[in-house]
Amino acid sequence: MHEQSLFASVPVHQHHELLQQLAGLTAMQPRHCLERRLIFKAFRKPGLAGRTGASQDLQQGDLQRLNKMLNGNLYYTQVIGSVSEQDFGSTAQIDQDTQMAGTDNAERDGSPSSSYDYERQSWRLEFRDIPEAGTRSAVTSRFMSSAALPRGDVVQAMNAWGYNFVTEYVVEGDMFVHNGIAIFLHRVLHYPDGGDSNLPRQQLPALKDMTLLEKSGSYVLQAFIIVQDGSNQETMKTASQHLFGLREQLKPAVLLEQADRLSLDTRAK
Amino acid sequence: MSNLNQDQIKVLEQSRQRLVQLTHSLASLIGSLNQGDPLPPWTSLQSQASIISNNLTSVSEQLSDNRDLLSTLVAYPGPDYPGRTQAPTLEQLLRTKLDPRVEDWVSRGRKVGTDAEPQPATSTAGIAADDGTRALSESELAELWAWAPLEANQEARRRNWGGNYTLEEREMGIENVVTGLRRKLEDEEEGESEEEEGEGDGEEMDVVGVRRRPGGAGLEFDIAPHQKHPVQPFVPLDLILRHMTTGRMP
Repeated sequence: MHEQSLFASVPVHQHHELLQQLAGLTAMQPRHCLERRLIFKAFRKPGLAGRTGASQDLQQGDLQRLNKMLNGNLYYTQVIGSVSEQDFGSTAQIDQDTQMAGTDNAERDGSPSSSYDYERQSWRLEFRDIPEAGTRSAVTSRFMSSAALPRGDVVQAMNAWGYNFVTEYVVEGDMFVHNGIAIFLHRVLHYPDGGDSNLPRQQLPALKDMTLLEKSGSYVLQAFIIVQDGSNQETMKTASQHLFGLREQLKPAVLLEQADRLSLDTRAK
Repeated sequence: MSNLNQDQIKVLEQSRQRLVQLTHSLASLIGSLNQGDPLPPWTSLQSQASIISNNLTSVSEQLSDNRDLLSTLVAYPGPDYPGRTQAPTLEQLLRTKLDPRVEDWVSRGRKVGTDAEPQPATSTAGIAADDGTRALSESELAELWAWAPLEANQEARRRNWGGNYTLEEREMGIENVVTGLRRKLEDEEEGESEEEEGEGDGEEMDVVGVRRRPGGAGLEFDIAPHQKHPVQPFVPLDLILRHMTTGRMP
């Protein structure tokens, strides 16, 4: 899959107005999102690196190409989990026994002070390549792929795949959809106690204790389209034309632009 | 109309060679930027840039030296020109107006050229950060840098730091203070501020506020953004995106 996107920086004083403008433009109410994002960094080359033997069936050329593909670069990748506002600020560790006894959603929802349960957190793995270089089109286009992960602790699984946990943060924002374009107005929140831990948090602090990455509280506006078949020039072109259309519509409010390619560099050096 | 003599042909040939050199060196720079991973060292980029600049100079010398000849030349297809097969080239050669893209470049270049000419010095350089239409000139910048640290320091010494408002402001009545913030700043004398992040914000804002006040002496530089754009983001978009991608702190 390919993701085509445009970005803009939105000063905090414009945020409220822009939300209303976007709600008007897209004829929908904003969908508020809170996401935990865990950053993982690859520490060893996946695939064929350590493999010996059983390669007779592969032609030399094929093998080389495969090796090159698998061992070309190491990448940062993200594991994203949606959370809700109620998940923040819960301090009570969930009791192991009640968890074993019956972990029905009904029961969990029944208690008003629902506490965050790391073991039941659902995750998805999101990989994004460095944006393509030298494209004529003025949108950021990059290869991406996404996959659901099992609930609960992802670190072990990620370690087994050759990824180390680096850091995590929370993204807070609002999502709109318009003409097949997803519009995400968001900003990054940090945990108040810094990012020293080398494991993802089991508990979330109160939302109001979270600190802003950008101290003035500005937001990032990302408009993106995901194209299933990136090799199809026709659909890619249509997608970027849709984005340009949106850019024109939003021009009086914000200027959507292509992002600096190297700032979205996911290669691990 | 007369045919070209040997000298004139030589001039054309020389111009062609210089242009070829220029395109070659440009292509090699583009190539090394596109393919080099990591990017080539800055020394090599710099030497390539200086080669290009030399090439540009020699092209421009060549063109201006032979201006008389070159501006009077007219291209036309000879009878033996293969017009049927080479039509695009022919059209390119017979164009009298520039390519629209090239026209844009030329007008941009002209604009930069005229902008770079020294402008009459204004008494006060009221350049707001959000204005962006005119950059400060070298001397104004130097003046600003010489002025700012002293002035900021002086201003800072006069104040007892901590809290969202200064004593002066409190005496004047804190309702009248122009903070540039839409959100209400709490005065900690009235009650301890509860949200930590709010306080963090407040401090940042105060610094802007202090700078904003005109200094006792010297030039007035309008550093703080106008009311219309109360708070511009401090961290550029690039760094935020980089942080979101790799977790590296900006």
